[in-house]
Amino acid sequence: MMPVRQAWEALQDRLVFLPPFPEQLDPLALFALLLVGGLLAGETLFRTIGLSRIVGYVLAGALAGPGLLGWLDRETLSMAKPVADAALGLLLLETGRHLDLGWLRANRTLLGCAMGEAGLAFAAIFAFAFFAVGLSLGWSAATAAITMASAPAVVLLTAEENRAQGQVTQRTLLLTAINCALSFVVFAVVLGVVHAEQSGDWLNALAHPLWVVCGGIGIGMLCARLALTIAARQAKGSVTQVFIFVAVALLAIGVARMLGVPVFLCLFMMGAALNLADRNKVLAYTGLPQGHWILAIVLFVVTGAMLPLDDLNWVTSFQAVGLIGVRGVAKFAGVMMTGRQDLSVAKRRLVGIGIQPLSATAIFMAAELASIYPEVSSQALLLPLLAAALMEFAGPQMCKYALSKAGETEPLPVGRNR
Amino acid sequence: MSDLSKLNFTSSRPLTLGVELELQLVSLRDFDLTRAATDLLSGLRYDDRFGEVKLEITESMIEINSRPRIDVTGIAIDLDGLREVLVTYCQRNNIAICGGGTHPFHHWPERRICPGERFAFLNERYGYLSKQFTVFGQHIHIGVSSGDDAIWLTHALNRYVPHFVALSASSPFMDMTDTGFESARLNAVSAFPLSGQAPDISDWSAFVDHMGILQSCGVAESIKDLYWDVRPKPEYGTVEVRVCDTPLSVDRAVELAAFAQSLARYLLRERPPVVPAMQTLVARYNKFQACRFGFKAELADPIRRCVEPLGQTLQDLFDTLAQDADDLGCRRQLEQLRVLAHSQYGDSVWLRETAKAAGNFHDLTRAATERFSRPSRYRPHA
Repeated sequence: MMPVRQAWEALQDRLVFLPPFPEQLDPLALFALLLVGGLLAGETLFRTIGLSRIVGYVLAGALAGPGLLGWLDRETLSMAKPVADAALGLLLLETGRHLDLGWLRANRTLLGCAMGEAGLAFAAIFAFAFFAVGLSLGWSAATAAITMASAPAVVLLTAEENRAQGQVTQRTLLLTAINCALSFVVFAVVLGVVHAEQSGDWLNALAHPLWVVCGGIGIGMLCARLALTIAARQAKGSVTQVFIFVAVALLAIGVARMLGVPVFLCLFMMGAALNLADRNKVLAYTGLPQGHWILAIVLFVVTGAMLPLDDLNWVTSFQAVGLIGVRGVAKFAGVMMTGRQDLSVAKRRLVGIGIQPLSATAIFMAAELASIYPEVSSQALLLPLLAAALMEFAGPQMCKYALSKAGETEPLPVGRNR
Repeated sequence: MSDLSKLNFTSSRPLTLGVELELQLVSLRDFDLTRAATDLLSGLRYDDRFGEVKLEITESMIEINSRPRIDVTGIAIDLDGLREVLVTYCQRNNIAICGGGTHPFHHWPERRICPGERFAFLNERYGYLSKQFTVFGQHIHIGVSSGDDAIWLTHALNRYVPHFVALSASSPFMDMTDTGFESARLNAVSAFPLSGQAPDISDWSAFVDHMGILQSCGVAESIKDLYWDVRPKPEYGTVEVRVCDTPLSVDRAVELAAFAQSLARYLLRERPPVVPAMQTLVARYNKFQACRFGFKAELADPIRRCVEPLGQTLQDLFDTLAQDADDLGCRRQLEQLRVLAHSQYGDSVWLRETAKAAGNFHDLTRAATERFSRPSRYRPHA
């Protein structure tokens, strides 16, 4: 690089139009490289060994990230973070729209199932982190809050990628939406517990959770109302409505970042509010544009690069695998114990597998916590991050297996790749 | 050579009724057709007290069959009971059932074929037609005492195919387009090689011979392969009218059954002259007229060599059938059809008006699901 730099600087003396030697990648160029790199890795894995594309995106990020090859350093990653925020936000917006209270009213066993699997997962993970790993009360609760939820981005994109339709798909999406909502509530409470445990600062212990919860709900509801008000004047399902939908979502992301409220929480709340408040079905038939796959690729590449793979050793790996096992059994048992009259055993088993993914949301939640007490959180949050790292590779495959085994994915026409 | 012994006609009590309705299964998220039939059926805790619920060719369809009944009140009890059961179970699966002959905006290549040997065979034999066959009809069975009566009634009812089409028409939209037809569903059926009018066969033994020829040539294995507008159904001991679109409400389905029963009674009682060869000359044209223009169709009469407006012939027919309807206890239902024919405000008109008011097909389908979920006024306790 040095000779190029010297030559460039030498030329600058004679060519007045030359800018200073670029010290770092332009964000757009970075975006393009992440996109192409992730895309190629995803497609290659999909076509050669039939793995979910999402695994390929994550693998590309993990390989290029600071933990392995180091092509993407932490500074570069922070540049890509807004795009990843937007991607996760949009996917959580869509997940929030799956929080279907009408369905829960019509089928009460679903609520029992959701509470059962999320509650069991929280309790089991908390007990594992506290008793087996020896984390403090606060960080055990944080670990449980972060990892009790399924990965909405993975579940949503896997269902979409495979054009899955049916009860296993719908229930996996619904349970994911509910366990995300519960995870966010617990996460807000945990913020207070961590403040109290780390600094004994009771003002922040009370105010921070309130700020996060009220901010998330407030921004989500206001933006949902704004989107509905503007979109009501446009034709349903039109391109204009799609633009309004995406633009207001980006506004919510921006406001959340400005006010220090977690983006994922705001957008999830906006999705849920859109579902609840849209009585005239103004935006009910308007979905994300196909372009959201571009953002999703960047999200998973960035997520892969954020994985703390350099912290993996025998002990931490064993602990992470233990957490995944405990969490998996708890979620599976929660689904199997409820809804016997409602869905066959075979299908409940597949729902139990379908909700196993754990990834981007957990990592972003951990990042939120880490930003508050960076000096202590790096070790304390290692467990959920490593568990998420391992599940980044296993989760999409498990979800795809469940939907496919249920016979709900679209059979591929001869000679065509999806 | 196939075994023809199964073609024995099982005698049944004359004029008993049975109704089959093919229904749409739509997602409550966007009201598009969805893959739901096998999930719905496997989760159904229901004891067949009102009749059967069955799979159809694609996963976005479900068929309900009433039990054999002697009158339309029984049919109303069964169909409304089945509707109630399905509405409840569909809500539990976050889907809805909907009437109508076609779904206005579904994308047919996305349909999934239901599991089962028969469906796999149909998919193999008919290719893309099997997915395009995701259209929804009402079939009405009328009991007859002998195979010969079944063949005669099949021919006699053929003349009234346009009347059934006009009264039931509820499929003006396909592929997000107003087709201009009142019933576009039958165009999907016409693509099948064994569709249309029954050939000129004089009695049951001639029909058995006809089936023997078709079987030995590999054209058809059983009567199931004949997609005729009206066909005999020997195992049930009935004649089956197959040209109606599934209406938007159970009430209309009951009224159509009343019409079929009254008409069959009149025909079997009066035995008017039937000339299948002459009818065949104009059958396709008359059916097209009814599908395209509904009550405004102009029907060709090859015997009298003139053109008759369908709307007027229907009014005359209702007068003719009044006494039979009284005797069968279905005058109330027939009078509703008379009002319908007079106002010409059928299901297809309702669909067009609702689509115009809503401005999109999603809300149109939502309104249609709400309409189908309403209880029947013909069910005694309702």
